[in-house]
Amino acid sequence: MIQAPIHSDTTQEIGNDVDLAAVSFDVDGQQILHDITFKTNAARVGIVGRNGSGKSTLARILAGLITPTSGVVRVNGHNLAKDRRAALAEVGILFQNPDHQIIFPTVIEELSFGLTQTGQSDPDAAGMAQETLNQFNKSHWRDANISTLSQGQKHLVCLMSVVAMAPKLLILDEPFAGLDIPTKTQLNRYLSHYSGSLLHITHDPADLQSYDHLIWLDQGAVQETGPCDQLLKSYQEKMNLIGGQDDISDLSD
Amino acid sequence: MISLTSPIRTRAHSWPAGLKLAGLCLSTVVLFFIKDLTAQVAIATVVATLYALPGRAFLAAGWRHLRGFWFFVLIVAIYHTAVGEIYEGAVILLRLLSAIALANLVTMTTKLTDMIKVVRFLAKPLTIFGLSSKILELSIALVIRLTPVLVEKGSLLSQSWRARSRRKTSWRIILPFTILALDDADYVAEALKARGGFTLLKEN
Repeated sequence: MIQAPIHSDTTQEIGNDVDLAAVSFDVDGQQILHDITFKTNAARVGIVGRNGSGKSTLARILAGLITPTSGVVRVNGHNLAKDRRAALAEVGILFQNPDHQIIFPTVIEELSFGLTQTGQSDPDAAGMAQETLNQFNKSHWRDANISTLSQGQKHLVCLMSVVAMAPKLLILDEPFAGLDIPTKTQLNRYLSHYSGSLLHITHDPADLQSYDHLIWLDQGAVQETGPCDQLLKSYQEKMNLIGGQDDISDLSD
Repeated sequence: MISLTSPIRTRAHSWPAGLKLAGLCLSTVVLFFIKDLTAQVAIATVVATLYALPGRAFLAAGWRHLRGFWFFVLIVAIYHTAVGEIYEGAVILLRLLSAIALANLVTMTTKLTDMIKVVRFLAKPLTIFGLSSKILELSIALVIRLTPVLVEKGSLLSQSWRARSRRKTSWRIILPFTILALDDADYVAEALKARGGFTLLKEN
């Protein structure tokens, strides 16, 4: 059986080694990410930046879903773009839109799928999926049809599906954008119980208040890295400053 | 197929899906050889009785599922009245309705997972040609999962059209809808890759 990925006490969260060296990513000659270098093993890592700063691309590179044009990415020493089998144990990724993530029509099938992919037999996978539902007190969701769930509930299904696979690092790509305050608070509470480490990507400083290490991305490059308080303050100031200007007029080349 | 569910659990739910599908196959073939109106009326009555057996709620659900075919019934009826073949028209209509009703009956009383097991069994010979039954199953699940999503997207697109137009939604939304669907497919492919993709699927 997997180790319980959700815990209620205050167990120390474990960090993972995330190591990027001179990572760049181009699409059709246009540079999306430029010479990204950082190293961290904090348990709660946040990446902030404006829309279009390359945050989502970086999330996909970290998860090994796309290969950087140049540079080296290592998560706990693994090259996840090449080693997909290791990738499943190392990282899980939560996308912004649940309809882009949920593959199966019912909750139990969706949770079981990732587990069978890690080599579990069908009955074992179903058992472990049920176990995850129980941990979240959602055993009554088992046979629910995805199309009947609310948007917030779909987000929770995505979270449970990834948590069931117990990855060491959970990457969140603006996971709760557009949700109302109570739903967001409830989902954040589930997240805060996750015993693996988190890498949370967002444009909203409010999401990252209690995070250990932050990386600020601007126009595809690292603007600043550092502890939460200091970095969020300068980020907020800069965002307010730009907010007073009119760079929305600028068209990209 | 997505909405073809039964409001209650019937005795037929526990029958083997393969047997039900084989029975459906056979009865549909037999239906096509019967050209006598009295026999067709008798068969239609038997089918209606089958729907009535599990109770009123089931009969009502069955009727709702069948009602969607009124347009085809109308066209066949108009055609046969126009060419003056009332008797043949009645036979064809009853045959059509009995066949559809029987097919719906099987779908309503069979769980999707059981249906997929039959597909897996039937597709087994194809594995020598390299077709993975796991991929086939995944495709079926994807269609069922994403059809409501696409229907929703289509209706949103048509609402955006109507919000800025006095005319009805036209065929011109087909292209943006296609692009939308392809874009969605890209995202789902990525989500699939994030959880192992087809490579690990084949190994299992």
